[in-house]
Amino acid sequence: MPEAFRLEAAGVTKSFTQDGLPAQALSGVSLTVDAGEFVSIVGRSGSGKSTLLSVLSTLLKPDGGRLLYNGVDLADAGEAKINALRQRDFAVIFQFHYLLPYLTALENTLLPFMRGLRPVSAEQRRRALDCLKRVGLAEKAARLPGQLSGGEQQRVAIARALVKNARILFADEPTGSLDSATGTAVMELLAALPGEGLSVVMVTHNEEYAKRSHRVVRMADGRVL
Amino acid sequence: MNILTIALRNARKKWVRTSLLLLVFTLGVVSIVALGFVSRVVGEGLEQKLVSFGANILVSPKSEKLTVSYGGFALGDMLFDVTYLDEAATQAQIDTIALRKNISVVAPKLVVLDRVNGSAVALVGVRFERERQLKGFWVAEQGVIPGETPEQAADRVVMNAPARHEDPAHAPGGQPLSPAQSTGPSAPPSASKPVRVAAGPNGLLAGSAAAAKLSLHVGSVVPLGAHHFVVAGILAPTGSDDDNVLLADMTELQRASGHPGEVNFVEVAALCSACPIDDIVTQLGQALPGTDIKTLRGIVEQRMVSVRFVKKLILSVSLVILLTGCSMVGVSMLSAVNERKKEIGILRSLGFARRSVFAIFCAEAAAIGLIAGAAGYVAGYLVSFRILDMLEVEGAGGVSFEPLHLLATALVLALLTSLASLFPAWKAAGIEPSEALVTL
Repeated sequence: MPEAFRLEAAGVTKSFTQDGLPAQALSGVSLTVDAGEFVSIVGRSGSGKSTLLSVLSTLLKPDGGRLLYNGVDLADAGEAKINALRQRDFAVIFQFHYLLPYLTALENTLLPFMRGLRPVSAEQRRRALDCLKRVGLAEKAARLPGQLSGGEQQRVAIARALVKNARILFADEPTGSLDSATGTAVMELLAALPGEGLSVVMVTHNEEYAKRSHRVVRMADGRVL
Repeated sequence: MNILTIALRNARKKWVRTSLLLLVFTLGVVSIVALGFVSRVVGEGLEQKLVSFGANILVSPKSEKLTVSYGGFALGDMLFDVTYLDEAATQAQIDTIALRKNISVVAPKLVVLDRVNGSAVALVGVRFERERQLKGFWVAEQGVIPGETPEQAADRVVMNAPARHEDPAHAPGGQPLSPAQSTGPSAPPSASKPVRVAAGPNGLLAGSAAAAKLSLHVGSVVPLGAHHFVVAGILAPTGSDDDNVLLADMTELQRASGHPGEVNFVEVAALCSACPIDDIVTQLGQALPGTDIKTLRGIVEQRMVSVRFVKKLILSVSLVILLTGCSMVGVSMLSAVNERKKEIGILRSLGFARRSVFAIFCAEAAAIGLIAGAAGYVAGYLVSFRILDMLEVEGAGGVSFEPLHLLATALVLALLTSLASLFPAWKAAGIEPSEALVTL
């Protein structure tokens, strides 16, 4: 059983300035994610789905409303608290893999443990290899990202999320830059994660992929429909 | 694997940029280190040469002196009372001053007037070993300079052999003739063999003009009261007062003139590259009350100007090189921050604190500084020999490899490059993951 937690956005607002004009990206959005859930957020471009994902994953601070994680409001949390969440509980993957090009697949997977001067432990290394094995890349652990395909790179990014035993994986168009077959393989991997206790919040354009989630949240004009 | 792995792997991945930075910085350090070594050797050589120009401070007893002239005709100075300095006490007092380390030579002088072959001449008592330090330009045209070791004398004899004349007035085996054997000037020696006159305590060194005027040559005997001095060597023209006098051993002249332990004045050679000459004069004045301390300011200031000029030049060049290198590191790091914005965003999204991102950039710069510092020091050390060779400067032996200096150079360079990367690192630390990664 996954450890219980709740991430809750309540009346979240966020606006930006575009070409000197204010643009409301989120207008009072409320959403709840529980342990072991797979939530898809779908909507057209500009609907605010990526902004919502960024707010939920703490990459973006909301202008208004509340973002509660286990009852603690993250909207006003200090940097140390946010960093701690990013280190332990939250993991993010993007449309583009964003691996560090000069580190091998294994080292990229170990990146969450390379924050200080303390060397990565043998246990962490073993765990990283297990995660690479889990995503089918154990034999390519020593390769640099440039030596991997797009799908493999995305799987390394997923392994990096798995290695720290995160509670929620936020995925922003994870299959957006992949071909259909590779995208499907990545989706299968993501769909299996909630069963292992990792909640997934995914932004996608693809209705087929969205159908694989437990819940689909539709957005338009910065609001949840 | 830790946070440094990220910095070092990136440096390795961007090897062209890293190599370029390393090259520029290493070249900068090579220049600084080599210039430092060369300037030290040249500076020391300069100091030696400057010291060899002679004394620059004169210590003499206070005396009442009246310049007498009448009707536009100068009658010279009237000295009411000739006073002497106690040689040992004066030396002891000079040794007590705080800036003693800046004094290279203390050379006392006793002046005694004598008449040789009907001409008046000054016999000047000196400590030859100190006088030779003070007057590196002395060259014995004939014979030897008293106080030289046999090896030094032999070297000089060999070097100057064609110009030497055998002295018929000295005994075989190099022993000077006794006054009884040879009195007064004798005939000039032949040029067939080098002269080897051992300079005993009564050996005289004749100035070139004095020797010519008094028809002195090596082995000539110069009487003073009951004492006799024997000319051991004749100086080549120096263009100084030494050309017109006869220089004798201080102790012998003090005994011969009836002034044991006394001197007329003391010449002091001070090199003040690091201290004002006025301070030395003040301290000497305090240590030696009842004396006049005069500076030959021109020489002193020229020495100081020369040494300061060389040091300022080196410092200026070093600063320019360092600033250029630091600017390059700063600019390069700044452009790297913009290039690596997404990487920084990833690190921040993984929970890396701002200080961790800051440390990655500083560590990368520090690594470049550390390597450039160490490599630059070693290369600079080797290059300095080549430069000294090209400049035909002697004294490469003064260049010594100091492991502690190597370490210090590497650490200072690491610090400098870190400082140069402070702004880029600060900028990197300020990047929010949302602005680097999120496309809204």
